[in-house]
Amino acid sequence: MGVIIGAVLLVGGVVLFVLYPIIQGQWATLHRTSDEGTEADARKRVSLLALRDVEMDFATGKLDEEDYRALQSELSHAALKAIQEVEVQQKVADLVGSTATGSEALEAEIAAVRVGIAEGRTCASCGHVNSAGSNFCASCGEPLGG
Amino acid sequence: MTILGELALWIAFPVALFGTVLAFVGGRQQRGDLVLSAERAVYAVFGLLTLASAGIVAAFLGDRFEYWYVWNYSNRELDVFYKAAGLWAGQRGSLLFWVLLLAMFSVIAVFTNRKKNREFMPYVTGVLLTVITFFLCVLLFAEVNPFEQLPFAQADGRGLNPQLQNYWMTIHPPTLYLGFTAFTIPFAFAISALLTGRLDSRWLVIIRKWTLLSWFFLSVGVIFGMRWAYEELGWGGYWFWDPVENASLLPWLTATAFLHSVMIQENRGMLKVWNMGLVTLTWTLTIFATFLTRSGLIESVHSFATNSTIALIFLAFLGVTVSVSILLIIWRYDDLKAENEIQSFASREAAFLLNNLLLLGIAFAVFWGTIFPLIGEALTGKKVSVGPGFFNSVNAPLGMVLLGLMGVGPVIAWRRATKRNIKKNFFMPLGVGLGVFALLVALGSRQWMSLITFGLSAFVFTVIAVEFFKGTKARARIEGSAPPTALLHLVSRNRRRWGGYIVHVGIVMIFTAFAAASFKMELIQTLEPGESVTIESPFGHTYTLTYQGVSTALRTRNMEWQAQALLTVARNGKPVGSITTEKRMYLTYPAPVTEVGIRSTAFEDLYVILANAEDLGRALSNDAGGQRATFEVQINPLVGWIWYGGLMVAFGAMVGLWPSKGSLAEHRSKATPREATREPVGVTV
Repeated sequence: MGVIIGAVLLVGGVVLFVLYPIIQGQWATLHRTSDEGTEADARKRVSLLALRDVEMDFATGKLDEEDYRALQSELSHAALKAIQEVEVQQKVADLVGSTATGSEALEAEIAAVRVGIAEGRTCASCGHVNSAGSNFCASCGEPLGG
Repeated sequence: MTILGELALWIAFPVALFGTVLAFVGGRQQRGDLVLSAERAVYAVFGLLTLASAGIVAAFLGDRFEYWYVWNYSNRELDVFYKAAGLWAGQRGSLLFWVLLLAMFSVIAVFTNRKKNREFMPYVTGVLLTVITFFLCVLLFAEVNPFEQLPFAQADGRGLNPQLQNYWMTIHPPTLYLGFTAFTIPFAFAISALLTGRLDSRWLVIIRKWTLLSWFFLSVGVIFGMRWAYEELGWGGYWFWDPVENASLLPWLTATAFLHSVMIQENRGMLKVWNMGLVTLTWTLTIFATFLTRSGLIESVHSFATNSTIALIFLAFLGVTVSVSILLIIWRYDDLKAENEIQSFASREAAFLLNNLLLLGIAFAVFWGTIFPLIGEALTGKKVSVGPGFFNSVNAPLGMVLLGLMGVGPVIAWRRATKRNIKKNFFMPLGVGLGVFALLVALGSRQWMSLITFGLSAFVFTVIAVEFFKGTKARARIEGSAPPTALLHLVSRNRRRWGGYIVHVGIVMIFTAFAAASFKMELIQTLEPGESVTIESPFGHTYTLTYQGVSTALRTRNMEWQAQALLTVARNGKPVGSITTEKRMYLTYPAPVTEVGIRSTAFEDLYVILANAEDLGRALSNDAGGQRATFEVQINPLVGWIWYGGLMVAFGAMVGLWPSKGSLAEHRSKATPREATREPVGVTV
């Protein structure tokens, strides 16, 4: 008898525990949350780590001046690009959070457009700033990067 | 308790299966409630499996011989310690233990990612639950249920194989299983990255610690296994290229390859497909290792009775998972294109690539040598065996090149090495390596393979020592601190790199020990009490062992009899202590087993085996005239370096695993955006 009661309790408990979110309509987030790293953050981190390695190699005499400069420039460029993207994303996130003042909002928008232009992501036809790697404008369909 | 455990195992299966479906559907339809339920299923399955495992342990501790598994692997006289370890003593329990550990890691992965990396989690949860469901399916439906009952309760159990009654046995399998199961987490993230198409650097950052954790356990597990073999199998060796030893080595080799090649992806944006492939391959090999051990397909000291159902289920599962992984990689091939090309073969990326090829070459040779007997038997119907000769002759040269590369990789430049770079960084270490080689030749040694290995080891060790020296000097200069502080800061600022170097020192020690094995001395001598035998060490001194006689014990708790021979030891004629070696006849095992006597020093082990008591009957009745015994005496040079090297490897891996804090934290800090953007680009070393 004790076994049967134990079994019923166990099965019931497990079923309730697992199904609780569905019954209660609790939803887990399935998107990146605002306080964790984005793809740009990961790229920034990886580039900075690589840059640190190169600095270390140069400091300990494993890299020639010329190679060091070339690698440093390549990695700094990648890191800067990632940092700029992170900045833009943060400013946009701030805007969405409605804590930004009008001038900051403008500043963020300008920064986004500037990075977009630098990378050929801002559409020449309608001015929409597209996501990285886009070949066509998501707003008007015009080809990008001409 | 045991009935509840069995019930828990039966409930765990549908819960895991249901959770798998919820996770994949939730991921596909972006339904947060389904995913949350699936994550709860992971917790529930872990709870249920803990209950099931507790049920088995309770059955062992309570001598419940109505259970087939307990009856087969325990008896009333068995130590409580080994009874508790009965959970992983045999095929059935160890499969349950395997899936328990996987569920434990799954819980950790789901819990630590409950607020981050959310876009990966539906499929990560799905993959983890798929693997758990598979193992539960095996446990319940492949005639290996550990809760299976006998028609009637037996009075006593058949006992545990005496060779497994060793403390290393209690920790070697769990450690190895921790390594095997932990690698499922990187695999789950890799599959999730492929399914979601988020193939940027993030998933690599997420799995880095998990990969290292798994590698740490695999390394320690393999070393523990070697130690067990050395102590318990009584032949003076530690590695016999046994199929199951090989199976545990395979994922270690590919995981090692991945730990290196991931650095090329991070630094140079290359080898993305390769890395994805290595994660999949390593995980597949962990399952293959489990399959090989637990199906009993290959005869080995580790494996159990052949069970063709289990073999077929495992093979089908491996086939499906490998095919799906390959298809996913092909599907995402365009997103995995390299961003750079190798510019010169004299560069760090080329050295890493060569390292990868060698590791995979060794893995392939080991894999082939392991499965060849199976294929051979299937084709010809005759038993074919591949002995240590094949493995040693193929792997020794590859291993030596790999050893040499360990000295090249850290100091060769990224992109391309100039002559100046090569001259500046290699001149001194090469000099030391050649010096050691020349010195040993001058001392009269002609064991060429070993001598080259010693030379290479000296070369690599010097490279690493110089690295630490230069790094500490540079750090001390930058921050104006004392050398010990600078060293500490140097390591703590880039734990992976310096931890890696510490691991390399450990590997060098292990290679040195392997090479020293060819200088092993051994002799076999039959002695009467009072007689002596003298053996010369390769280091020049001698050991004289004087046989004192046998002491015996009859009908002890779990032994029929026990005969312990005592020998006093003198080094260069000066007494240094004594050594004992035994023969034991367990009540539950058909043949006597040997307990070796080991006297270890930093440079050699004196290893004594009681090969035979010439007149056992008289010896056991303490007859002074029947004490004649044959001994095998060995001197194993530098064998201790394997264990010290293993400790070094573990320490280095722990340095790499230690959580880092500071400017390059894995995720964006809690700092305000304004502060966060102030992070400098020019990072100090």
